[in-house]
Amino acid sequence: MRRETQNILLILLGGALLKLSFTDMYLRYVKAGLQPLLIAAGAIMILLAGLAIVRDLRATKEVEVHDDHGHGSSRSPWMLLLPVLAVFLIAPPALGADTVNRSDRNAAQESKSLNGFAALPEGAVIPLSLGEFVTRTAWDDSGSLDDRVVKLTGFVARKNDSTYVARLAISCCAADASPIKVRMTGGGGFDSMPTDQWVEVTGKVVPGSATKETAYVPTLTVAEIAPIATPVDTYES
Amino acid sequence: MTITSEIRGRRSSGRGPLRGKVTSLEVLCLLLVLALVLQDWLVGVLDAPQLRTAATVFVAVCVQAMPFLVFGVLISGAIAAFVPASALRRLLPKRTALAVPVAGLAGVALPGCECASVPVARRLMQQGVPPAVALSFLLAAPAVNPIVLVATAVAFRDAPMMVPARFVGSLLTAVVMGWLWTRFGKAEWIAERALRKFEEREGVSRWTVFTETARHDLVEAGGFLVLGGVFAAAFNVLVPTAWMETLGAQIVLGVIVMAFLAVILALCSEADAFVAVSMTALPLLPRLVFLVVGPAVDVKLFALQAGTFGKSFALRFAPATFVVAIASALAAGAVFL
Repeated sequence: MRRETQNILLILLGGALLKLSFTDMYLRYVKAGLQPLLIAAGAIMILLAGLAIVRDLRATKEVEVHDDHGHGSSRSPWMLLLPVLAVFLIAPPALGADTVNRSDRNAAQESKSLNGFAALPEGAVIPLSLGEFVTRTAWDDSGSLDDRVVKLTGFVARKNDSTYVARLAISCCAADASPIKVRMTGGGGFDSMPTDQWVEVTGKVVPGSATKETAYVPTLTVAEIAPIATPVDTYES
Repeated sequence: MTITSEIRGRRSSGRGPLRGKVTSLEVLCLLLVLALVLQDWLVGVLDAPQLRTAATVFVAVCVQAMPFLVFGVLISGAIAAFVPASALRRLLPKRTALAVPVAGLAGVALPGCECASVPVARRLMQQGVPPAVALSFLLAAPAVNPIVLVATAVAFRDAPMMVPARFVGSLLTAVVMGWLWTRFGKAEWIAERALRKFEEREGVSRWTVFTETARHDLVEAGGFLVLGGVFAAAFNVLVPTAWMETLGAQIVLGVIVMAFLAVILALCSEADAFVAVSMTALPLLPRLVFLVVGPAVDVKLFALQAGTFGKSFALRFAPATFVVAIASALAAGAVFL
């Protein structure tokens, strides 16, 4: 591949990284903490390619600063075009129900060694993250959640006749996503909700439903369910 | 366009006539136009849930790894430009057998994941460090650095012994592979281009050597990293992970299954502990194997190694590392778990 083409590819790829990090799109793929690193990486890519271009423009026949090792024998840099096209043209969405059904891992289990749980806030309806809700139902033996109304946010996922409100937890990038899910029962009309629709659910936990037999997936008796817009950062951590 | 073609004309010595020849520049333009024209069709084709998941995982792997790769090529460029070969020789013990564990421990100082260490190891070799020593650094750096160990400690709050077990298992893998290479490795397995030195010419500043080396490494390694991302995304949707995770409940089968899972999932070494901890159906030992094998050999790393050091190297090195990593993890597990 020609040196000029390599430089253009580098600028395109750097531009793709910058576009992701400046538009919140990066949250579909990686954790928020990676944003400064992405900006730095994109800027350095563009800088390196820019320096090479400037150098080539200045170079005369006598002082040719650098020539490609291997004289175009390598085709691997063509692969750099793939992420560029994927980001600019396709912009794949954040992971959803398809990923939830691929794994039986349950991200919420890792917190079981936390000693005790903080008291739940007062109020008629308690908003909780799915991760905290599942962890509490599985490991909090005091039954502090029984008879409390909670509000959960997630997307609709379906497997084997069961409907879940689910979310994915990532620790670095979307490749390591682990599902967190809560089975829904009762009314509220969740049957008519399309898969992957983001919802806010209020309801009460079925006491003792998160056991080893259910793979620590609790059941929620739904009182109300309402569709909401997809949040900017769809992942829990 | 006229300016560039003029410059190209001047610079084209040794490239054959340009007139009437299609160059990569034209191919790139054609590809970009085609992609733009076919955008709607492409988006429509990718609208199946499985393909959408694969596309997201692909972009995620690439995006997540790029900063670390950039970090790696900057270090690689800095070594080429500012660290004379004699300094490295003075720093390392004379005997390769002694230098191997030193290089393994030196991995503690490179806080990144595996993508960063490949270009650095290659540059070390090129500066006259024996291949066995550089390879030992390559295997140790992504697994024993403080960031990875802290991440492991946070993930495995219940089983703190996972941290020393992982450290020892990974270091053992690196050192054993270094010694094996000293004993059996052949220099001709490593592609000649990997060891070729940047031509030093009169009037070329160190700054130029630094940026040009970094740029060159980035373009080469970046392509293979993307290839690795394609494999990781394909395996992510094609391999029934849930089924493999339940299989792993038996200890012997579990070790084998988890070792293969580490290879095909190609997780970043800073994140794999969180995945391992969520596989609660498994005993600790298979999960330790997962953590030791992953940073040493996975599909992304294999693509990077094949691109950097050549196919005949990667085809020997990766399987050997796979076996040694499993054995080292089992040994470390026997002591610590």
